Amino acid sequence: MATTMSAPTPARVVSPFNPANAVTASRFLTLPPFMWAVANGYHQWATVFILICGLLDKLDGLVAKIFNCRSVFGELFDAITDGICYGFALIVVAYYGWAPVAPVVLILVMGVGNSGLRFIYGWRAKRPTNYKSYAMERIVAYTGYLIGFATGGMMVDFYYWAFVPMQAVIIAYDAKRMLVDPIPEVAK
Amino acid sequence: MNELMSPTAFKWFLTILTGGLAGSWFFYDTFNLIRIRNADKQDPIVRDKIFGYIMGIVIGIVGVLGCLRFHDVV
Repeated sequence: MATTMSAPTPARVVSPFNPANAVTASRFLTLPPFMWAVANGYHQWATVFILICGLLDKLDGLVAKIFNCRSVFGELFDAITDGICYGFALIVVAYYGWAPVAPVVLILVMGVGNSGLRFIYGWRAKRPTNYKSYAMERIVAYTGYLIGFATGGMMVDFYYWAFVPMQAVIIAYDAKRMLVDPIPEVAK
Repeated sequence: MNELMSPTAFKWFLTILTGGLAGSWFFYDTFNLIRIRNADKQDPIVRDKIFGYIMGIVIGIVGVLGCLRFHDVV
């Protein structure tokens, strides 16, 4: 997802139809087979599909560098895709009883709250911008892992309940930065 | 459709993947934290990095701990 406080917007115009965004969009293609695997009880296949989704998340940044097509839209699209893919996958594993419902609900509620904070940050910055946080990058990667823990049946309760307080601390920290702290010039 | 590997192999696959990445993550962010120790802590970007690296270290520890518990080591 991000580094800190938005790098300066590239001066040149980048089309939204670029290779990096194509890689990002291709992550949605992993969701139907993922759901099929979960619904049919194929733990290993479900793990493979969510791994592919996670790998594509790492690949889009690399493709953006190689093709020099970084953009604010691409960063926002990546963040939104993270939310949709991981949110959907979390709901699926909880629905089919592969993950505990209570922490999944807490994680999703906090995720939606964080998205709301990002909108407020964008409104304060007076232009489309992606709020960036090193800690949030790490917790988003952990979210991908959470789904893998559920599909693999690996210490599911431990990892899910350990995630909740970490996510709460990070969102509280980021909330102060998004709502209270002055916005850096490069992000205005 | 059959699964891809035996349950034992899958268990070890998950362990190596999780433990390897969590362990690497722990050392990577510890290294980053050490590298940034003399930076200007009044700079909000530096403070964000420090907080992010600390959370990365915590996540790394949780990941490795989970692997150890998965194999009843702790």
